Amino acid sequence: MMDEREDRFDEILRDAARDYNAPPPTPKAEMWTRIQAVRRTGGQANGVLPLRPTIRRPLRLAMAIAAILVLGVAIGRLSAPGITARPSASGTIAAAPGADKKDKSTVATQLATTDHLSQVETFLTEFGTEKGSPEFTEHAKRLLGTTRLLLDSKRVTDPRTRKLLEDLELVLVQIATMNPKDRAEDLNSIADGLAQNQLRTRLRNAIPAGPAIRL
Amino acid sequence: MAQNKGRPFRVRSRVEKRDLVTRVLAGDPDAERELYDSHVDRVYRLVYRMVGDSELASDYTQDTFIRTFDRLATFRGDSALSTWITAIAISVVYNGQRKVKRLRTREVDIEHAEPMAATIRHADPDLKARLTEAIDGLPEGYRTVFLMHDVEGFTHDQIGSALGIQEGTSKAQLSRARAKLRHELAAFAGDWAS
Repeated sequence: MMDEREDRFDEILRDAARDYNAPPPTPKAEMWTRIQAVRRTGGQANGVLPLRPTIRRPLRLAMAIAAILVLGVAIGRLSAPGITARPSASGTIAAAPGADKKDKSTVATQLATTDHLSQVETFLTEFGTEKGSPEFTEHAKRLLGTTRLLLDSKRVTDPRTRKLLEDLELVLVQIATMNPKDRAEDLNSIADGLAQNQLRTRLRNAIPAGPAIRL
Repeated sequence: MAQNKGRPFRVRSRVEKRDLVTRVLAGDPDAERELYDSHVDRVYRLVYRMVGDSELASDYTQDTFIRTFDRLATFRGDSALSTWITAIAISVVYNGQRKVKRLRTREVDIEHAEPMAATIRHADPDLKARLTEAIDGLPEGYRTVFLMHDVEGFTHDQIGSALGIQEGTSKAQLSRARAKLRHELAAFAGDWAS
C-alpha cells in the first residue's frame, strides 16, 4: 500500500518535474559565435585574471615587514608601564582601572585586526602572482582561522571591518578548499570574487598607511 | 532483440564519433561545428534545468564547449563522448553556481529564509510551485541526479560516469531525493493518494 502510494507519487513527481526549469530553445548560433570568438583569440573560457600584476613581490614583502615593525612598536608602546595611565594635571589617574583594561583590550583587538588584514593582503598578492601553489592552501587555512576568531570577537564592532572580514572569509575558504584537480576553475572563481567585492581596495583602505593604529 | 538491433548502430556511432574527434583535433572547422551541433541541445537542456536562467545557461554551455575543445586531446574514449562532455558541463555549472550562490547569499534577507517545510504547509496549495521550491532545496548531489534521471532521462550508468560516482550511488541518491521530495510535499499527500 505504502509502495503503491510512493510509486504513484514518483509518477506524479516526474510529470510535474518536467515543467521544472523547462528549457527554452537552444540559442545555438549565438553561443557558437561567442565560442568561436573566444577560441580565435586563443583565450580560455574564463582565464585567471592577474591579481595586481603591477605591484612587485619585493615591494609587497617590504610593506609586510614594515607593517610587522610598526605593529611591534605599537605593542611595545602599549605594554610599557604608565603609557595609558598618565596622571592628569590634577595628579589623578585619567581613567578608571576597569576602563583602562577595557580600552587596552579594544586597542589590542584593533592591532590584531590590522596586522591580520596586512597579512591577508600580502597573502592575496602573493597568491595572485604564484597562482595558487599548494602551500597557499595551508597558509589560507591559518588565515581563515584568524579571520573567524576576529569575526567571533565582540570587540570587532566596526561594521565595515566585519563586512570585510566576512568577504575575506569566503575567499579564504575558496583558497583553502581548492580542488587540486581543477585548480584553474577555482582560481578563476577566486579572482572574480576578489574583483567583484573590490577586496583589494577595501583591504588597502582598512590598513593604515602610517602606524598600524593611533595610540 | 531490441538490444541486438541497437548494438551495430551503437558500434558504428562510436567509430564515427572517434573519427569526429580525430577531425576536430586535426583542426577541421566543419568537424568542430558538427561536434557542437551533436551535443549542444543536450548540454543546454541539462544546464538550463540545473540553473533555471537563460543567460547563465548560455554562459555555462559556451564555457563547456570551449573547455571541451581545449581538452579534447585528453579524451581517451573510456566513456561516451556525450558523457565526457556532460561531466565537463556539470563541473562548469557547479563551479559557476558556487560563485552565484555566494553572491546571492549576501543579498538575501535572513528573515525571508524560512524553513521550506513550514512554507509548504501554509502557503498556496499549488503542487508544482511547491515542487519547484522543494527541488531547489534539495542538496546539490541529489538535485543533479534527480534532474538528470527523472527529468532529462539519463540512465544511472550515464549519471555515474558523468558525476564520477558508482551506478549504485546514483540510484541511492535518486531514491533519497525522491524521499526528501515526498517529505517536503507531505501537505499534498491527499492529492496524489486520491
